[in-house]
Amino acid sequence: MATSEATATPAPGVKIEVRDLDLWYGQTQALKRVSMDVSANSITALIGPSGCGKSTFLRVLDRMNDLIDGIRIEGRVLYEGRDITGPASDVIELRKKIGMVFQKPNPFPMSVYDNVAYGPRVHGFRARTPAERRKLDEMVERSLVNAALFDEVKDRLRKSAMGLSGGQQQRLCIARVLAVEPDVLLMDEPTSALDPISTSKIEALLEELKRRYTIVIVTHNMQQAGRVSDSTGFFLHGELVEFAPTKEIFFNPKDKRTENYISGRFG
Amino acid sequence: MPKVSASRRAQERLAFGTIRVLSLLTIAILALIVGFILYKGLRFSNETRSTVLPYAERSPSGLALVVNPGIDLESIDFPTAYGIFTDEYINWAKISADDTDLVPVAVDPGTPEGKAAERFLFGSGTQSSEEPAAYGGAVKKAADARAALAAVESTAGAVAIVPAGAVTPGDAKKVRVVPVRRLCLAVNEDVMAIVDNRSIEDLGDGDFARLARGEIANWKELGGPDLPVRFAAPPAGSELEAAVKAAGFAAGSSAAPGSPAAPAAAQAPGEGGYAAAIASTRGAAGFAFAADAQAASLQTLTRKGVVRGWNLTLRYLVEEPRLSGRVGGISTIILNTFFMLALTLLLAAPIGVAAAVYLIEYAKQGPLVRILRLGTETLAGIPSIIFGLFGFLFFVNILHFGFGLMSGCLTLTLMILPTIVRTSEEALKSVSGSLREGSLALGATKLQTIVRVVIPAAAPGILTGLILGVGRAVGETAALLFTMGSDYKLAVGLFSSARALSTHVYLLFAEGISFDRAFSTATVLIAIVLIFNFAARRLIGRMGEN
Repeated sequence: MATSEATATPAPGVKIEVRDLDLWYGQTQALKRVSMDVSANSITALIGPSGCGKSTFLRVLDRMNDLIDGIRIEGRVLYEGRDITGPASDVIELRKKIGMVFQKPNPFPMSVYDNVAYGPRVHGFRARTPAERRKLDEMVERSLVNAALFDEVKDRLRKSAMGLSGGQQQRLCIARVLAVEPDVLLMDEPTSALDPISTSKIEALLEELKRRYTIVIVTHNMQQAGRVSDSTGFFLHGELVEFAPTKEIFFNPKDKRTENYISGRFG
Repeated sequence: MPKVSASRRAQERLAFGTIRVLSLLTIAILALIVGFILYKGLRFSNETRSTVLPYAERSPSGLALVVNPGIDLESIDFPTAYGIFTDEYINWAKISADDTDLVPVAVDPGTPEGKAAERFLFGSGTQSSEEPAAYGGAVKKAADARAALAAVESTAGAVAIVPAGAVTPGDAKKVRVVPVRRLCLAVNEDVMAIVDNRSIEDLGDGDFARLARGEIANWKELGGPDLPVRFAAPPAGSELEAAVKAAGFAAGSSAAPGSPAAPAAAQAPGEGGYAAAIASTRGAAGFAFAADAQAASLQTLTRKGVVRGWNLTLRYLVEEPRLSGRVGGISTIILNTFFMLALTLLLAAPIGVAAAVYLIEYAKQGPLVRILRLGTETLAGIPSIIFGLFGFLFFVNILHFGFGLMSGCLTLTLMILPTIVRTSEEALKSVSGSLREGSLALGATKLQTIVRVVIPAAAPGILTGLILGVGRAVGETAALLFTMGSDYKLAVGLFSSARALSTHVYLLFAEGISFDRAFSTATVLIAIVLIFNFAARRLIGRMGEN
């Protein structure tokens, strides 16, 4: 078993390195010998039919699977050269660095401002003095600006986030993650619950965010993967069938199964 | 097919009609209950039975009944006045709702004014009375009217009968002159006889008027024996005649058409002869002063009347209870109830919410949790008297907390905990898992997630549970009787005995103290529950907006 000590020197430009990852839910094997290098400052799309393991794989990266009983993981997952699956790694620190946006917008039932300030606050930011309060205000504003939401909510920062539209709520969730100042953004079908206009706004946002963050996105929508991603991984029955630059996956797939899926023969 | 559709329409109409009838019935029942309690709580209407008529004289026979101004009394009936001076009462509570010892003062019967007072009380025609009535042993003697007045002025709860002329305008502020009701309708004893298992009924005001006008020819009409009514007019020019006139009865009924001739003796001069005439003539009846009727051993007809008034007054809310709640208000009891609720919530809310958080967020969902859950559900259904027994044995006796707020509130806490735990559990369960994931994914710890996201999101549900618990606690009687005690004074500490509103309602009713007061206390209790529910709804509504 790998520990945080057993680090390999990370290849240049590789943010997350996954080697021979096996994952079991009880007796069921959900991921089979998955290996993948996620490059920094790029968008990596994970595609595949329902139940193929792509969401499970994503949740391994920030250890959200810890919440589920009876899960067993073998293999190595290195973030910046450090193993993150072992008990020695600090899950809180990891999740600070690797943020996650979920399929359904899940704003907290509090004000827009408090939603964004939630991350800094739980990480110990106390806005006691006016200077600290200004700093928090700035953090919130910057996060909202970066999530392309600020102009729409600047007049209602103190109102409940539950009154926002679905697309605004999802961007709020992105802003909430950005406020923690992460390194990697994991997105689990972030636009599947949204209308086309909101979807295009978020896709445009992804292009922006790519400059500063490493993004891994699970999507059901192959056009989306084709539009926004730099590299794409195709999952099938827990296996990573093919992982390559997006253009190659879409125009010149090496594996027959990938080609069948891309061309819509199943899925 | 039209036939099918017609029968289906009929079915539909039948179902609709049934539902409508049942729902209207439910609403009607609810309105009846609430309306009845509110009506009984706000208004009282009591049947009274009295041998004297409701005509009060300020200076009967030129005398005045004076009391210390601390006594709140509008008028008094003669039998009560008689009872005051014959040791029947020792406290004003039953007479005027003042919790003051009764101090009757009599002017020395050796003096003329003393003689007059004695005659007023014990009658003028003592010839037929077997043992002469006299002042009770507790009655204080005063040398003359002035001395009696001075005693009444200076002694709380004092009462005396003095000549009306002795009460100067200067005294009017220092003593209270209480009008006396002493006019009654005396009848010959045969009238009251039981014949064929029937006897004369208690009469209403209308019956008295008809009797006086001579409209009733036979006692049969009033449920009495088959005897002609012989109504005697009071002696002309007597004080009695004046009183009867002043009371609004048409005197001189013997002249009324259709009425049988009055007994000859009734025309005899002198009030003593008048009473004797009624006593000796079969079927005779006539007005008399209670003292004279009593002295002549005449029977009197009973008047039934209805007294109505406000039951729940502001005074009732702000005054302290006295004499087991017979007198005074319920202010201290209301405060004690709030203390009790506050302490109970203080104990039950943190424990209950913490237990729910543990069960939902931390505990491994296994057989142990299932047993725990079954346990809480069972506890929620246990009758409160059993909690009361447990509280009595455990808190009061084994832990030596004694009867007091602490024992009571701990018992209530045990009783409402299951409710709070169950509703809080449901509320926590209903918080979407995606909120928890969202918080954890931001790097929050589990505790931070629970405290900052899950509990606020579940707050309306948790609050509902607390309100349900408070509702159960405020209405609780059985669990409190043997744990919190029933002292109606203001609780001064955690271990001092205190009476809650529900206990008060129970005790007023069970000890036969006052049905009216039980109802007005119940109304206050209902109002408190309503206010609580309303406030909680507003609060929950405001939370929901956020």
